[in-house]
Amino acid sequence: MQLDPRTKLIMVFSLSTLAVFVQDNRLLLLVLIVSVLLVAYFTADFRFVKKARKFIILFLGIAIIQSIFAPEGEVLFKLGDLTLLTAGGLQKGIRVILRMLIIIVSAVIMTGSSAREIVQGLIRWKVPFEIAFMVSLATRFLPILGEEARDVYIAIQLRGIEPEKLPLKQRIKLYSYLLMPVLTGVIVKARELSTSMEMRAFRAYPRRTSYLRLEFKQQDYIVIILSLSFLMVILLLYLLNIW
Amino acid sequence: MMVPLANSGFLELIEVAFSYPGNEFSLQGINQHFQQGEFTAIIGANGTGKTTLGKLLAGIIKPEQGQVLIAGRDSREISLGQVGKLIGYLFQQPDRQLFTPTVREEIGFALEFNGSSPEVIKKKVNDMLDIFSLADLAGAAPYQLSAGEKQRLALAALLVNQPQFLILDEPTTGLDPVRKQKLAEVLKELQGKGIGLVVISHDLSFIRSNADRVLVMAGGGLIAA
Amino acid sequence: MTLPIMVKDLSFRYQGSKKEILTGINITVNQGEILAIVGLSGSGKSTLCYCISGIIPHIYQGELSGEVLLKGSSTRSLSLPRIATQLGIVFQNPETQLFFPIVEDEIAFGPENLCLAREEIGQRLAQVLELTGMERQRYSNPQLLSGGQKQLIALSSVLSLQPDILVFDEVMAQLDPAGKELIKNMILNLKEQGKTVIMIDHDCDNLVIADKVKILKQGRLLDFDGTFS
Repeated sequence: MQLDPRTKLIMVFSLSTLAVFVQDNRLLLLVLIVSVLLVAYFTADFRFVKKARKFIILFLGIAIIQSIFAPEGEVLFKLGDLTLLTAGGLQKGIRVILRMLIIIVSAVIMTGSSAREIVQGLIRWKVPFEIAFMVSLATRFLPILGEEARDVYIAIQLRGIEPEKLPLKQRIKLYSYLLMPVLTGVIVKARELSTSMEMRAFRAYPRRTSYLRLEFKQQDYIVIILSLSFLMVILLLYLLNIW
Repeated sequence: MMVPLANSGFLELIEVAFSYPGNEFSLQGINQHFQQGEFTAIIGANGTGKTTLGKLLAGIIKPEQGQVLIAGRDSREISLGQVGKLIGYLFQQPDRQLFTPTVREEIGFALEFNGSSPEVIKKKVNDMLDIFSLADLAGAAPYQLSAGEKQRLALAALLVNQPQFLILDEPTTGLDPVRKQKLAEVLKELQGKGIGLVVISHDLSFIRSNADRVLVMAGGGLIAA
Repeated sequence: MTLPIMVKDLSFRYQGSKKEILTGINITVNQGEILAIVGLSGSGKSTLCYCISGIIPHIYQGELSGEVLLKGSSTRSLSLPRIATQLGIVFQNPETQLFFPIVEDEIAFGPENLCLAREEIGQRLAQVLELTGMERQRYSNPQLLSGGQKQLIALSSVLSLQPDILVFDEVMAQLDPAGKELIKNMILNLKEQGKTVIMIDHDCDNLVIADKVKILKQGRLLDFDGTFS
């Protein structure tokens, strides 16, 4: 089903709002399951599963840190005098992970829309077109910056330097060298980009027309109503403590 | 397990295969030797995988199948830092390999991190500044240099390590005819000192007048021209 | 008849620089003519491009004297969007000229900025894609095209503003021989359509398509005799 980008934005907005507000792990789990089902239905893009696996270690780390510094509830695991894992800590760890997963998974819903569609969606919501374009350019160029930083790090090592053999202080100094080429790269790119946009009459008038047409269809209205109802129902369940 | 033949080449590709997910090309079954003191050019259309081959040769990426041997060692078992002591690699965009505030620091960078004494660094850096006519620019910021100056600087910063081999990815891009001629002279001199050269380029006139051996990338393989 | 491009006694110095990068430049180009400008790195070729296309003084600052006239009006008095409908410029690096995931969006961008009606934009899209032979790539992602094709898309995206003058700033520098051939044929094609072209290059192989060749040397424009020194 091809949804309007605005509809998708509303879906993502509803899910991530719940992820932030709700403190109950069972409700969060429900929201996560719904998010996964939505991704499966709308995009069938499951590459995020690979990334999610990395979170397990993070989760254990958070749970242990929470338990050591803010021990709550029943002690689950002790090492000598040191409380390593408590029921409260475990719960908080799970909560953090569920929240992150919901936000990551729900963002996947947007991947089916092109940057141009999202820009147009924002413009239709009265976001000034200059700002909408800047946002979309940022998403286009951020991955390139990451790639550049990686290349610079490779170049540094290829000067015959083995970071793993350097003392920590030297190594931190080494990392500081990544900053300059990446920053100058950003400035040069931004300048070339804005020149090229202005030479194509960007900002000729306070408004602009659009060749791309966005129109809400019946399915969009249905999905929007469902998303907002889901948001309301879960929030009510949580706030009234009915669950 | 394949055992490399003795003295068969400084860089060696044995049945190398590599592909990028979703990309148009994939390299397959590549066998090739690169000797010291030899100037090999690799040509081919854009998007045939020339840069990928260069990165494989320098151990920046590892082959999916087969082996890349760098001075007899498998590229999977040698760190980039160790490669850097043997091979100088010039990126397609020199901007990505210039990262210090001044030209002088750029050239001395490797020496400083590897613990050379200040006197040695000063002497070696001054030598390089002379060879590459960068002395007037010693205090300038690398990113403000012209394309040709950036490239000379990148080369100087590589050569201060006294590598035994150089891999240059499109070194003539952005160079005018006079600068190209100068680059050719520098490369000839290095070759005379026994340094091996692999030059990836689509600048045919530059290649024709300088390379000993020309290899063409096409259809995922490497063929002698 | 007013000439498409006339440069009168143009000099320019960048802010903070002591030396003039361009000194007393005079150029006239007739309609349907291809003028090539060569020169060593640092001779001011790109700066001259910026002056001709109004990027100087509208985007980059500095001390500008003399005048650039596009069809008789000075670039100083024209706004950039007005210039964009008379003159299109393509740069060396395709990466920072293309910013949408679909070719069609890229080409529609300019006309959209001019607030043209949707039907008009549709017509221009079809027309430009036919001219550059990129019809089959209409819904492709520009990032997945070859270097030569990317430059053709960058060209298409300025052609949709229907300029009569085109400036090419070392557009072939990053291309392989096949890509160069593609662009050279395109430039000849544009000439046939009556467009006026200024191309900056330093590869002698690319100059064969030019009607006139000039060389920039230390900020001065001279007749080119085939050597750089």
